[in-house]
Amino acid sequence: MSLARFLIKRLLQGVFVVWGVVTIVFGLRVIAPGDPANVLLPPDVGPEVRQQVIADLGLDQPLYVQYWEFVSGIALGVPEGLFNIATGQPVGGLGLGTSLTTGTSVASRVGRSLPATLELAIMATVVAVVIAIPLGVISATNRYSVPDYGATLFSLAGISTPNFWLGVMLIIVLAVQLDLFPTSQRAIGIPGVVDLLVSGQLVAAAEGFRTWLWYITLPAITLGTYFTALITRLTRSGMLDELGKTYVRASRAKGLPDALVRYKHVLRNTLIPIITVVGLQLGTLIGGAVITEFVFDWPGLGQVLINSINSRDWPMVQGSLIVIAVGFVVVNIVVDTLYTLVNPRVGFD
Amino acid sequence: MIAPRTIRSLKRGLSRNALAKVGIAIVVVVLFVAIFAPFVAPDRPGTQNLNESRQPPIGFEKATTQEVPVKENGSVVFEDGQIVTENRTVYENSSWDHPLGTDGNGRDILSRLIYGARVSLLVGFFGTGLAMLVGVTVGLTAGYYRGKVDDVLMRSADVMLAFPSIVLAIALIGVLQDALEQSIPDPFVQTGVAPAFRSALGLPTGMPESTTLPGTIIVVVALVNWVWFARVARGEALSLREESYVKAARALGANDASIMFRHVLPNAITPILVLGTIQIAAIILLESALSFLGFSSANISWGFDIALGRQYQSTAWWISAMPGLAIVITVIGLNLVGDWLRDALDPGIEGEGGV
Repeated sequence: MSLARFLIKRLLQGVFVVWGVVTIVFGLRVIAPGDPANVLLPPDVGPEVRQQVIADLGLDQPLYVQYWEFVSGIALGVPEGLFNIATGQPVGGLGLGTSLTTGTSVASRVGRSLPATLELAIMATVVAVVIAIPLGVISATNRYSVPDYGATLFSLAGISTPNFWLGVMLIIVLAVQLDLFPTSQRAIGIPGVVDLLVSGQLVAAAEGFRTWLWYITLPAITLGTYFTALITRLTRSGMLDELGKTYVRASRAKGLPDALVRYKHVLRNTLIPIITVVGLQLGTLIGGAVITEFVFDWPGLGQVLINSINSRDWPMVQGSLIVIAVGFVVVNIVVDTLYTLVNPRVGFD
Repeated sequence: MIAPRTIRSLKRGLSRNALAKVGIAIVVVVLFVAIFAPFVAPDRPGTQNLNESRQPPIGFEKATTQEVPVKENGSVVFEDGQIVTENRTVYENSSWDHPLGTDGNGRDILSRLIYGARVSLLVGFFGTGLAMLVGVTVGLTAGYYRGKVDDVLMRSADVMLAFPSIVLAIALIGVLQDALEQSIPDPFVQTGVAPAFRSALGLPTGMPESTTLPGTIIVVVALVNWVWFARVARGEALSLREESYVKAARALGANDASIMFRHVLPNAITPILVLGTIQIAAIILLESALSFLGFSSANISWGFDIALGRQYQSTAWWISAMPGLAIVITVIGLNLVGDWLRDALDPGIEGEGGV
């Protein structure tokens, strides 16, 4: 199968999954107890006002009409004719509707919180890869040594530790007791740093970047530890598998230096299955980000989701769910494609 | 159902693997403590005693210097209209009444951990059981019928996998809320066996008469995690349906349901059980995260207690630290048992693990 056909097939599957996601998200709101009008209105309004609000929200329509509006709104970005509670003016949106509690566009709220989540996920992955692969290699090439036992113990503990607890402990030890890092929040984001950079304030940009790094360190370690442990484990076992193969013995017999065999051939072959597993675990990474954001008061998508569930703000819940799931589907397609491109042994099927 | 060959390879795995023994020991201890909570808990888990608030664990007594008023004959001394004070060393005492210390409301942390184990294990076992039931049924059906049935079922499984498990769980809790909460009576307390045992030993009596069974959380974790069982069961069914004994049963006129559950399932049981062990650990982690976020109705739970301790993070680290250690130790135990089963039986499965 050619790359183009592979991509088309994978994209069609992705579209199908996204449609399923949108349907589930619609269904969740339909079966959820409670009347959205109650979230919008004070309890003492008369029945006419309530009827009007329900009609404005489109909730008096038959379900199939609501479903069609919902799906077509997301696919085509039709403005939904909802109104802003504060101004009384209709609000459009990118098809994700309007928040019941703030009256603002769900799409813009979700869009504003996306960079924080992405920063966290990327930094956690960086932490994991930078620590885990060398650790796994050392562990596998010095089997049954003290570093090997240390790495094995670390990876067992790492995959068994709930990240929110790790976050709380890091805050207690490194932020509260030793005062090395801030306890929570995100003083500045990468978009803010980029703004400074673009406007030519280089010193301020450098200072901003340093602040960003200072604030993101603990959340990134919190989110990254599980992955560090997992990748260490995979690197070690994968490397041990590869080291036992005949091509390794053949290359050594041929007189190739040990280091060259280890790092060029063995490590490269070990990395391929690691990419697959890391791709499969991206869901865990995003899920972990939700909790990490809660622990560190990090203003990302997870915070939006948790707050909107607690305030029964269903349009916001739906918007954040859809963005998280679609992001996950897209990343999976990218990982699958990269995987087949990197690994000549796998065809596009 | 378990072949002698399987038992032999399990034993061989155990004799080679010291860590597996550690894992089994941990799981047995946690199970024992959870089941017999009203006998082993040193104190009542829910009773507040503000006089003993934030007592440190044994070994963490702390001496601090505080400015305290000087008292003569029981009353404060004034000098120039000011209260006379002196610097005195104040000890935060620990006591064997509360070996792991007390929380912000003076409740015994060890007793709360013991009762919290009940919630974690109930959700872990029932949640995994329900996920297994749903997942295996869907997976066997998909793998056995193949074709359109397979496509529809497994594509819906793919849709479920597009949500990170914690995210889907939070959304489902938003829908179900606490509709399915139950409380189950504690037979040891109800029959009077535990109270008699406790008063004979001079332990505090008045243990809780029932345990919360967070039904919503159980249903939610099952709805989130059935997919992994479905994938494994489907893979097994796809290959087993071509076996001669399945064809023979079909030729003899057995109906599809009986072929699936009497001929295919028993031969697919090993990988399903191995996945089950790993899933108990994953579900315990998921439960603790949901209670930490405040989505569980259980008022004693490891995750919930970690969240409770956060307001004391600068004065009493142990309130959050201890429940987390309980989770880590339990999950390590389950993961070690899972590793042992997987290495000994080698079913070659994957599954989402962490939170």
